[in-house]
Amino acid sequence: MVDDPDAHGGADKRHLETCAECQARYGTVSKDALAISSLMAAPELKLDVTSAFNRVRSAPAARPRFGFRIPVMRPRSRPVVLGFATAVAAVALLVTAIAEGGNTFTPQTLTPVPVTMADMEALSQLSAYGTVSWTKQPQPQIATSAEEAHTISGLPVPKVANLPAGVSSTVTYAAMGQATAVFTFSTAKATAAAAQAGKTLPALPAGIEGAQLTVTVGPAVAEIYGNINKPAAGSDITQAALPQLIVGETSAPVATSSQVTVVQFEKYLLSQPGISPELKAAINAIGDPSTTLPIPIPVQFATSSKVTIQGVQGLALGDNTGVGAGVIWIKHGVVYGVVGTIKRDDAVNIANQLS
Amino acid sequence: MNLGVRAVATPRTDDESFEALFRTEYGRVAGIANRVLMDQHEAEDVAQEVFVDFHRLHSASAQYAPAWLHRAAAHTALNRLRGSRRRQKRELAQAAEESDRAVDPQKLFEASEDRRQVREALARLAPKPAAVLVLRASGLSYAEVAQALGVGIGQVGTLLRRAEASLRKEVTRGTSI
Repeated sequence: MVDDPDAHGGADKRHLETCAECQARYGTVSKDALAISSLMAAPELKLDVTSAFNRVRSAPAARPRFGFRIPVMRPRSRPVVLGFATAVAAVALLVTAIAEGGNTFTPQTLTPVPVTMADMEALSQLSAYGTVSWTKQPQPQIATSAEEAHTISGLPVPKVANLPAGVSSTVTYAAMGQATAVFTFSTAKATAAAAQAGKTLPALPAGIEGAQLTVTVGPAVAEIYGNINKPAAGSDITQAALPQLIVGETSAPVATSSQVTVVQFEKYLLSQPGISPELKAAINAIGDPSTTLPIPIPVQFATSSKVTIQGVQGLALGDNTGVGAGVIWIKHGVVYGVVGTIKRDDAVNIANQLS
Repeated sequence: MNLGVRAVATPRTDDESFEALFRTEYGRVAGIANRVLMDQHEAEDVAQEVFVDFHRLHSASAQYAPAWLHRAAAHTALNRLRGSRRRQKRELAQAAEESDRAVDPQKLFEASEDRRQVREALARLAPKPAAVLVLRASGLSYAEVAQALGVGIGQVGTLLRRAEASLRKEVTRGTSI
């Protein structure tokens, strides 16, 4: 009540007039407030806003173009991200390049592959079986405009025709160029990793020592609607707000191998302890792996169904509760996705009207 | 799929929005930093850092922009204050060792004693109470303080009162040592 005009009035004020205890407390608080306001007094600033703006505009980092990471990709989260990325890449790898020695994978359809947490853990352990190195680092960046996102990724930026009610029109663009990871298998590392986990290493295919698997992902571009609020300096990262809607597109991943065939590697991956029978069955059920891109979907999060988006078959995830839904489809070798805290029907509408 | 004008209507480009945001908020952001640092040059330096940081990662038309800037200004200035307090201690220790070439006492104490004490006390406070005091003293309304700190408006009064009491205690402690 001391300095809040909204509190001056009503029951509180009437109570204060009759309560001696509260009057005493009010007195102490007023004294504190008065003392602090005089202690915190500062001389008026004489500011030249135009010069200040010119200084900010000419600062090298004021118009960022390259090298900034998306806030969620903090350095300390990289090991987690790497493990997860390895798992996702491994699932994609299972079928993306089965033609022996060939890398002419041109996916035309998508298929959902249900994965469990145990699958992801089992697959991410593969990073302990050898050395993962990026010949081209993934560098997701925030772009200041659609044009800049296009420059970074080389991909056309999707245009959303109508946003569902409740989705903020505040848009942030993110983009990344192509990234390539090379995994070099090491029998010694694999044996040590399995021993440490108390597991028996599945029988190794001949010639796997030193075999290299190369996975190329991206380029990619995304429009992020809603706040991706980076917390202010000194505050907690968990206070960052999550975006309401993400519309993205990326080139399909490409995998190639040396020394062993990708088929051999696929069999080896599926023999890992911890891989669920459901994942094995889903992979084996893929009819024509040379044209089908598997989309890993956590079993507990999504119910998927087939939908037609812009004349091609796509996958719809989630439901109409608005808790979360998404649509993924593939057209001319480019994978598109619309995902957010929206209804499934809204996601389908956005996808169909995307240009 | 062409590039071009986005279908979602935005009244102006991000550059124009950023300039408008800068012109509206620069005085306040610099004022918040000045309230902490009591030094125009340093305060403007903080304001510049905060705006550059914001522009790197956020859209200038974001609704949360002013709240983000206010909060960042308070935290960045308080961090500098804590850093400069450590620096000042080091400099004083060095000065004592080199007694024949001591720091000019006039320069060292040109700020008033009261102000020096309150800045020292502010630097000793926890980040949240310190920020609530600085933001309120910089003229932000209860609603603006609540937005900047991500707390309910009903909590601001209580936070402020506790922060004021803590600061008074710290100032008293500082003078009695």
